[in-house]
Amino acid sequence: MPRPIVVSVLALACAVVAGGQPALTSAGRQANIDSFEHAWKTVLDKHWDPKLGGIDWQAVHDELRPGIEAAKTMDEARKVMSSMLERLKLTHYGIIPADVYRELDPSDASGGGARDADPGIDLRVIEGHALVTSVEPGSPAAAHGVKPGWEIVRVNGAEMAPALQRIQQQFAASTLLDLRLARSVLSRLQGPKGATVHLDFLDAADRTVSLGLDRVQPRGQLAHLGNMPPMYFWAEWRKVRPDIGYVRFNLFLEPDVLSKTFADAVNGCGGCNGFVIDLRGNPGGIGGLAMGAAGWFMGESGVELGTTYLRGATLKFVVFPRPQPFLGPLAILVDGCSASTAEILAAGLKDAKRARIFGTRTAGAALPSIIERLPNGDGFQYAIANYISQGGKPLEGIGVIPDEEVRPTRRQLLAGQDPALDAAVEWIRNQKKK
Amino acid sequence: MNRFQSGRTIRIGLSLLFAAAGALAAADDLPKAETILDKYVEVTGGKAAYAKIHAEITTGSMEFAAMGLKGKMVEFTAEPGESYAELTMPGIGKILEGTSGGVAWASSAIQGSRVKEGDEKDETLLRARFNSDAKWREIFKSAETAGIESLDGKDCYKVVLTPNAGNPVTKWYDKQSNLLSKMAMKSKTPMGEIETETIFSDYRKEGDILLAHKAVAHAAGQEIVLTIDSVQHNAEIPKDKFELPDEIKALLKKTAK
Repeated sequence: MPRPIVVSVLALACAVVAGGQPALTSAGRQANIDSFEHAWKTVLDKHWDPKLGGIDWQAVHDELRPGIEAAKTMDEARKVMSSMLERLKLTHYGIIPADVYRELDPSDASGGGARDADPGIDLRVIEGHALVTSVEPGSPAAAHGVKPGWEIVRVNGAEMAPALQRIQQQFAASTLLDLRLARSVLSRLQGPKGATVHLDFLDAADRTVSLGLDRVQPRGQLAHLGNMPPMYFWAEWRKVRPDIGYVRFNLFLEPDVLSKTFADAVNGCGGCNGFVIDLRGNPGGIGGLAMGAAGWFMGESGVELGTTYLRGATLKFVVFPRPQPFLGPLAILVDGCSASTAEILAAGLKDAKRARIFGTRTAGAALPSIIERLPNGDGFQYAIANYISQGGKPLEGIGVIPDEEVRPTRRQLLAGQDPALDAAVEWIRNQKKK
Repeated sequence: MNRFQSGRTIRIGLSLLFAAAGALAAADDLPKAETILDKYVEVTGGKAAYAKIHAEITTGSMEFAAMGLKGKMVEFTAEPGESYAELTMPGIGKILEGTSGGVAWASSAIQGSRVKEGDEKDETLLRARFNSDAKWREIFKSAETAGIESLDGKDCYKVVLTPNAGNPVTKWYDKQSNLLSKMAMKSKTPMGEIETETIFSDYRKEGDILLAHKAVAHAAGQEIVLTIDSVQHNAEIPKDKFELPDEIKALLKKTAK
C-alpha cells in the first residue's frame, strides 16, 4: 500500500503565487465554496483525534463560511481556507494553489512554465544572516564564483534583514523557525527558468558583490507522486573519507532510485568503518521510505522506528533488515530544515540506539498526510495521523534533538568546513579506536 | 501487499485483497452457513467449473483516489497455493508479493523485502490456496450465519467464518442472488492489525465463472478501488514465475544460519 506523504507544503517554496487575479465567475465562487466545505468535512472526518484537540470546528466553519461566499478572487478564497486550517495549529495542513502544479511542471499541458528554477545556491539563516551553505557545481552561482559563507544581503533589490527579523519574531518559539527563515530566502531565489535574479552578497572580506544570476533547472529529475506537486529529486553516495560512506538525497521520493542508491552505497562501502546519512535540508516525502532506508543499517528484525495513530487504526513503522546491511557506526546529520520523513528516520534510529545524530534540532513537522485535489483545482494537504517516535514522544512541534549539537558559523563556511560532517567523522573514527 | 485475488473473489486488505469462504452452523430460522457458501460456489459457476481451473492470470488496476495514485496489477496463481502478484504504481515503483513452496513473502522498494512469519505467514498461505472459494471447507474451521442485514436496501445473510489460521472473516451474501456483497476482516501485518471493509460489485462472467470485477475497500482511513480487467483461466504461466526472488532467498539463508 502506498504510504502517506510526509512532506509539508512548507517545502513547496513556490507555493505563494502573486496576486492580481481576475474576479471569479459564479461557477468559480461555487467551486471555492465546495472546496471549503470539502476541506472542512475532511478535517472533521479524518483528523486522528475526533475531538480535534478541543477546537470547536463547527464554530470555525460558521465563522469563515461567509468569507468564502464573499471571496472575489482565488487569493481571497485561499486565505479563508488557509485561515480555517491554521486554527488547527499543526503542520501538514495547507492549500496548494492550482497554479503551483502547472508552474512546477514544465511538461504541463496547460503550457505553464516551471517557476522552481534557481541559480544553484543552498542556504541557511544563521544568527540572522542568510548564508550560502553550498553551491551547485556547474550552476550559474558557481560560474560567478559564489562561495559558501557569503551572505545574501539583497534579492532583486529587497533587503533580506527586515524580512528575516519579522519571521524571527513571529516564529521565535517554534521549531519551524529555521525552516521558515531558509524558505523565505530560497523562495525569492526561485523563479522561471532563464530569468535572472539579482543578488547582493557580502563576500569573505565583507565586500559587496552584486551579481545577476540566471535561474536554471534544479538538480535532479522531476518526480511525480499522485496529487503532490512535482518536485526535483536527486540522490547520491560517495566516500567522504577512504573508510567512511556518505549518502545524501533531497527528498524521500522515487523509491526505486533511492533504494538503489542505498544498495550501491552499502555494497560499495561494505568494508567501511562508518556511514553518514545526510538529511540536512531534506523535507521528507513518502513516510514508509524511513523504514526502507533504516533496513540498510539494521541487522535485527522487528525493530520499530515509531507508531502512527490514525483514526481507528494504529500502525507501527517496522524495519525489515536487508539481506546484507551495514552494521558499523552510523551518523545522521540533521538541521532545522530536516522535516517529516527525515525526522522519522533520524528519531527512530536514535531511539533504537542505532545512530548518533549530529547538527541542529529538526523542524518538528512530522505528520503523515495526504494531498487531494479540491473542486476548485487547488491541492489540499491534510494530516491523517499523529506520529510518536519509539522513544515515546511526538515529533510534531518537538523535532529531533541531536546527540551532538553542531551549528555552523560563517567563519567555518568561508573556510570550506562542514562542522557537522566533521564531528560525525570524528565520532566514527573514535568508535573504530574503541 | 497481500494478494489481489484468489479463487474468484476480489480481496482487499490494507495493501490489497483477501478472500475466503466457509460455513458451519446456523440459527434455526436462518439458512446454515455451509448452505450459503455452497450456494455461492454454485451461483458463480459450480464446483465442476471451478475444478476445471488449475491456474490463472488476472490483470487489473488499483487506485488510491484521494492520493491521486493508480497502478496496474497482475497476479499469477496456480495449484496448490502458488502465487505471484505485482502492483506497479507511478512514483511508488513495484510492490510484489508471493507464496511458493510454503514460503510467503513481500517486497517493495519502499520497505524492502521480507519473509512473512508467524500468524501472518499462516494467514497468507491459507488464503493463497488455489480455488479457495470452492475449497472453503479446507480453509475455515467454523462458520456461522449471524443474521440478516440490509446493505444498500438489499437483505444480506451475514456469515462469520473462522479460518484455521488468523482472524475471523465476516461476509455478507445477497439474499436474493447469493453473491458476495461485502467482507470485513482484520489482517495481521507486522505494522499492526488492519481492519478492512470491502464492497463487491460489477459481477460478470470470466469463462464459466461469475466474478466481481470491482471492489471498494476502506482500510486505515483510505478508500482503495480495485478493478479487474481480465482473467485468463488455465493460462500458461512461465515456470520461473513462482521462483523466490534472490533477496528472499538471501533472507531465508540468513535466517537458516
